[in-house]
Amino acid sequence: MVGPTASLSILQRADGSATYKCPATGYTILSAVNGPVELPGRRDALKPEDATVEVFVKPGTTTGGVGERAIETTLKSVLGDIVLGREKGFPRRGVVLTLNIVGGENVERGDSYLTLLPALLHAGLLAMISASIPLSMTLSAVLLGVTDSGEIVQNPSPAAAKSAVSLHVLAISSKDHLLLNQSRGRFDFDTWELIRARALSICQGAANDGDVAMGEGTNTASVNGFIRETAEDQIYSAYAHKLDSI
Amino acid sequence: MSAPVVLLPGDEVPHDRLPTKNSNPLRLGPGLRLLSQPSPKAGDSNHVLTATQAGLLTTDAKRNTVSLLSFPNRRYVPTTNDLIIAQIHHSSIDFFHCIVTPNTAHALLGQLSFEGANKKTRPMLKQGELVYARVQSVGVGAGAEVELTCVNPATGKADGGLGPLAGGMVFDVSTGMAARLIRASSASADETDPVDGLIILGELGRKLESLGGFELAVGRNGKVWVDCSNAGEGSVSVTVAIGRCLQETDQHNLHPHDQKKLVTRILRDMKLVS
Repeated sequence: MVGPTASLSILQRADGSATYKCPATGYTILSAVNGPVELPGRRDALKPEDATVEVFVKPGTTTGGVGERAIETTLKSVLGDIVLGREKGFPRRGVVLTLNIVGGENVERGDSYLTLLPALLHAGLLAMISASIPLSMTLSAVLLGVTDSGEIVQNPSPAAAKSAVSLHVLAISSKDHLLLNQSRGRFDFDTWELIRARALSICQGAANDGDVAMGEGTNTASVNGFIRETAEDQIYSAYAHKLDSI
Repeated sequence: MSAPVVLLPGDEVPHDRLPTKNSNPLRLGPGLRLLSQPSPKAGDSNHVLTATQAGLLTTDAKRNTVSLLSFPNRRYVPTTNDLIIAQIHHSSIDFFHCIVTPNTAHALLGQLSFEGANKKTRPMLKQGELVYARVQSVGVGAGAEVELTCVNPATGKADGGLGPLAGGMVFDVSTGMAARLIRASSASADETDPVDGLIILGELGRKLESLGGFELAVGRNGKVWVDCSNAGEGSVSVTVAIGRCLQETDQHNLHPHDQKKLVTRILRDMKLVS
């Protein structure tokens, strides 16, 4: 299976930006982050000591609607959890994240955004990393579908997702916390336990012992490892001048 | 030198990479924080350094510092003692309100924080004018104001060319490039060893010496002010040429070898040096 591709810092004027393409589901996301910025109006009343994370999801061909607002709320809470909003310069400021869906099948109006959620999370995270927004940890997410026969499919295509009995999105932090669990369809607890174990192994690599497993063998290529490699490549190319002289 | 270490948010700094054998306390640069982990033994806690940003770990054994070099195009967050180029937005009775980075609150620059300024004689800066200033304080707590100064409060002198910037032109570069330029210009004494692979300033200086040279001020907030009023009629094109050289070096992250080529090409394009 072809892995996802991503590139960082591609927009010139944004503080941080990224593209993320998931070939299995066909979605391409372009994301941009600006922060810390002054928000229009005072939206900091709830958490005056903390930064406010704002997320905007823009579908490729239509205007945003209810589905986009719903997914924005989910993204805001997941990404807001890992942003260190009390670092210097961040309290009472905003971190504004814009996610543009530039490729892939359109989500029908009012339909669920579950299939897009992992791609949106990864694109948002990579953009935040490239903007150097202080984060407590990184995360990785995966979409899993359960077919009629009870088989678990990783990153089902839009057609397969439609026919799936249940769909699950799990986001797992780089320190093995479960950050997000959204499911749709009929399933029981046993299935969910299987899903959780599978998601953990996909996100953290089969060895499941943090960063040690990274890059060893072919089947241990985890989503977390992918995020790490993308960021490392960008750092190496940005500091090529420094590494040459060492 | 051991292999470079790149850390991601949440990663711990490996213990063997920290500078040792130094009596000074360890100083942490941006992007790192100290966390204490509760250990099984009561009353005994472990301290770990973790990264909050992605970046390249660098240590300085002499000054006993450890810091993280992050992506170069990040937003500038004011830090005390940084030299920046600010634009006047408007003025009030006591302060000039200055723009440091777009979409952030204005920084305050006292009307009297200039060399030799007093209640009777002080610079009358208009909207849009530029000042080269030092960050005096960034305040404490949430929503604090950033204060700038154009004078060293201890001596009353404008050290290092602080004050209004007249003439010239400002170019935007990335904050990483601005930091590189500052390091390069502060260590330009021996040109044989380019700092951070940045030879463009020396190269421009050599090529443009016959045209009267140029003046440069670099702000940590990603602004470079260029002035070459000595060049007479060609001063505008020289300014633009320097700005283009700096911006292209920044955008394409050019190798020293390519920087030399770029300077030659741009100066020839603009018919400044045959």
